[in-house]
Amino acid sequence: MRTRQYSVKVCEMTLTNENEFISFFDINHELFKDYLIVINGQSSQKILDYLDEKDIKYLFNVSLPKSQGRITAEKVIQEQQEIHEIKQKEITEELSKLSNRLHNNLKVRDTLVRSGQELNIKGDLLLLNRVNSGATINIDGNLIITQIVDGLIKCNGNFMIIKTSEKANILFHQQEIEYESLMDRLNKIEFIDNKIVITPISKETNWVS
Amino acid sequence: MGIVIAVISGKGGVGKTTTTANIGLGISSNNKRCVVLDFDIGQRNLDMLLGLENRVVYDIVQVMDEEVSLKQALIKSKMNDNFFFLAASQTRDKSALESPKILKLLTSLKKEFDFIILDAPAGIESGYEHTIEYADTAIIVVNPEVSSIRDADRAIGILDSKSQKVKDGSEVNKYLIINRINPKMVQSGEMLSSEDIIDILSIPLLGKVPEDKGIIDASNQGKPVILDKKSPAGQAYERISNRLCGIDVDMPDVEVVKSGFINKIRGIFK
Repeated sequence: MRTRQYSVKVCEMTLTNENEFISFFDINHELFKDYLIVINGQSSQKILDYLDEKDIKYLFNVSLPKSQGRITAEKVIQEQQEIHEIKQKEITEELSKLSNRLHNNLKVRDTLVRSGQELNIKGDLLLLNRVNSGATINIDGNLIITQIVDGLIKCNGNFMIIKTSEKANILFHQQEIEYESLMDRLNKIEFIDNKIVITPISKETNWVS
Repeated sequence: MGIVIAVISGKGGVGKTTTTANIGLGISSNNKRCVVLDFDIGQRNLDMLLGLENRVVYDIVQVMDEEVSLKQALIKSKMNDNFFFLAASQTRDKSALESPKILKLLTSLKKEFDFIILDAPAGIESGYEHTIEYADTAIIVVNPEVSSIRDADRAIGILDSKSQKVKDGSEVNKYLIINRINPKMVQSGEMLSSEDIIDILSIPLLGKVPEDKGIIDASNQGKPVILDKKSPAGQAYERISNRLCGIDVDMPDVEVVKSGFINKIRGIFK
C-alpha cells in the first residue's frame, strides 16, 4: 500500500440555488483553480457537467475534519479534569461517611447510668453496665447493654440487645415493648419487614471482659 | 489534715442524722478528734440526738458570717473529750450557705480535727449540693426499699457531677450503709437483699445496720445507741466507726435471724 499526504486548500460551500451557483462560478472560477470544492447540497447532472466543464475539482457532501483551536482544546481538557476532581471528592465523601458509620459513631461506656441521668446519643452505644431506675437513654443508633436495665430506653436504631427488669420502660421506634414479651433474659429486638421481632438470646453470651 | 465525710441519702427519714451521731461518737472513742456539723440549716435535729439541745448558743451560720469565732460555737460533748458538735441555724434557711464560706470553715476545721462529718439535709437541693461540695468521702445511707435506693442513686449522680473533687479531676470516695434492715423481712423476700442494693448502686459496702427499736428511745433520750453495748444497731455502728478508723472488722451477717429454740422446733415441722 502506498500513501501520500497532500496539503490542499479546501473551500466549502452550500448549494441551494443552481442558477446562483453557476453564475457565481462563471465569475469566480479562476480563483478556485487550485482549490478543492466541497459542496453540501443536492447534486444534479447540470451542475456536475458544469463543474467538469470548468475543470473544477470537487466533492459532494463530505464532512471535513475540523481541527480544534488550542484554546478550545485546553478548555476541554480542563473540563475533563474538573469532572474528575468532583468525582474523586464524591468518592472520598462517601468513604468517610461509611467509615463514620463503622467506627466513629460507636460509643463504649462502662459506667452505670444512675437515676436522673439522661444519655442522648446520636450513633451506636455499647454499654457494659446497668441502667438504673429513673435513668433515661435516648439513642438514634443501635444499642447493646450487657447488664440489666431498670430505666427508660428510647431506641430508634436497627436493633437493640437488652435484658430488662419488670420496672424498665422500653420504646423501640416509639412503640412500647411489654415486659411479658421480654421476660428475664437477653433479647434481640429488631425490625424485620416493618414488624418488631423479639428473639430471645437463649445461649449464655460470653461477653469479652 | 482531717478528712471531710458527708453523710447523704437523697430520701429523708432513712437515718442520716442517727448515723452521723453514732459514727461520730464511735470515731471519737477510737481516740480520733471528730467534729459533726449539722448542715440541715433551718431544721436542726442533730443536737437533740446528741443530747446537746440545751447547750447550743451559736450556730454554723454565725461562724460562717464571722459573727462569732469557731471556738465559741464548737460544743464539746460530755460523752467524749474528742467529740465536738457544730449546730445548724434554726432561724435561717439553706440560702445562708455560700461556697467560699463553707470552704473557709472546713479548711480551718481540717487543721484541728481528724474527721469532719457533715449531716446533709434530705433532698438534692442547694443545701445538699453545698454539703457535698468539698467532701472527700461520702457515706450513702439507704433503707432496703426501692424509693430510698432510687433517691440515693440520684444523689450519687449529683455527687459525681457537682463536687469540687470531681471538678478537679479526682473522685469522691463513696461508701454504702444499709440501715434499718429487718432480717425476717429480707429472708422472706419482702425486703431487698443487700446484694441487690450493692448491685444497683455499685459502691462498696461500709456496713449493715439492723432495725432496732432501741434507736427511738436512744434518740429521745439524747444518748446515741452506740453507747448501748447490747443493742445490735449500736454494735453495727461501732463496727462501721472502727472500719472508718482503719481497723479491720469482719462483716457479720445481720440479715440472718438467730434461730432460737422455738424457731428450731418450727423448722422441723415445716
